Amino acid sequence: MNAAVRVEAVKLRRSPVGVVATMALVGGTLALLAGITAAVAGGDAAVIAKAGAAASLDWEGMLLGAGQVTAAGGMLGFGAVLSWTFAREFTDGTITGLFALPVTRGRIALAKLTVYGAWVVAVSGLLTLGLLGLGLALGYGTPDTTVWDAVARQCVLGVLTGITTVPAALVATATRSLLGGVGGAIGLVVLAQVGALAGAGGWMPLAAPALWAASGGTAVTGAQLTLTVAVGAVGALATWWTWSRLTLRR
Amino acid sequence: MLRLDGVSLAFGGGDGVHDLTLSVAAGEVVALVGLNGAGKSTLMRLALGMLRPTHGAVHLFGVPLAATPARSWSRVGALIEVPLAYPELTTRENLHVAALLRHADPRCVERSLGEWQLGPVADRRFRRLSLGTRQRVGLAAALQHEPDLVILDEPSNALDPASVILLREQLARRAGAGGAVVVSSHHLDEVARTADRTVLMNRGRLIGELDTAGQDLEREFFARIHDDDRRAGVTAAAR
Repeated sequence: MNAAVRVEAVKLRRSPVGVVATMALVGGTLALLAGITAAVAGGDAAVIAKAGAAASLDWEGMLLGAGQVTAAGGMLGFGAVLSWTFAREFTDGTITGLFALPVTRGRIALAKLTVYGAWVVAVSGLLTLGLLGLGLALGYGTPDTTVWDAVARQCVLGVLTGITTVPAALVATATRSLLGGVGGAIGLVVLAQVGALAGAGGWMPLAAPALWAASGGTAVTGAQLTLTVAVGAVGALATWWTWSRLTLRR
Repeated sequence: MLRLDGVSLAFGGGDGVHDLTLSVAAGEVVALVGLNGAGKSTLMRLALGMLRPTHGAVHLFGVPLAATPARSWSRVGALIEVPLAYPELTTRENLHVAALLRHADPRCVERSLGEWQLGPVADRRFRRLSLGTRQRVGLAAALQHEPDLVILDEPSNALDPASVILLREQLARRAGAGGAVVVSSHHLDEVARTADRTVLMNRGRLIGELDTAGQDLEREFFARIHDDDRRAGVTAAAR
């Protein structure tokens, strides 16, 4: 397992896919929030109307906006990297080299998920640090306890978003296609939006993390967040099982 | 080392392999020859667990494939179609990856870079290598851990004459050390130089051995294929 984790880590670290996705998720989110802040500060009525509560020029407004971007954009960004991690073996043809090894395909799949999980935590942490820097640069002052709580929720939101995206790995494996996996991630975003619009609230596991972060932790229960984690766990289990039984039958 | 007992696998459309029985002993180099679509790659994929037979059984080191412990695979080196190498990694990094995944001593990487004359491109990314050099990297990755069983599908593809000699020497060394080698090839002359036994495949079946000591290998090869087709009632147009 250790060998497979080391291999997957070096592949993600050296690949432009991991670097670009990290820059897009961290730098892109910060740039977007800085732009919204500039537009709101400049009195852009259209942006103020669209941003809603996130148009408030303080920690609360900025973190609310960050949560919205993370929930949707994070799912797509995380989904793209996760799909690439699994689908590339089929599109690059390297899958044949992953047979006849003492490291089983099931362990390789778990190693891929482990490295993905570590990357999600790193990206979420980096984004949180970036948000703190942005808030301080914008002059929002020293964070108080309430702000620190919101900052912590933002970091957890990033990780939970990464967890809800795990089923994209199964789609990428089943379709043996990067676009198939990304399509799966887009499907998860759509499902989350439809669930939110239908009023499922915290019981819609794909939308629960965003609702939890936006409500300051009041609108979603622990049981509902557990369901979110369960979606990721089931996705991971199904992916492991599929890789364990993988054959290359045409 | 490797044994296939009456192995069959049918694909959609009637393709597949039928009743394959083959044994490869320690110290032996066995070549598989046949036309495109004869089933050589399918046989190798079955031997390596990439495909599951519908009938028959594959035995690896005397153990049925389904019961083969994972650690036994560290004694196998294979290259099927595409090298186990990633475009974003350098030659050296790719060989390290191959060593890690086979639980091999990482020191084998530097030795392998020398043996396969990959030193000048050791720190060059795989995506920037020529086709022939990529193939050499793939072969180095498959053989650097000195496996007891070697299975290579068309290993001389894209190799220049010097690399073909390197490959020949490496295979002879593995066999000399008691390893078993299975290679598929289209190059009959090369097969004649490398293999102890040359097994003919046609239409998904093993149809016997080819005597590589003969004067005109091509004529003998096509005569056997034609004879098998004639017996099966296959015409050139149908093929």
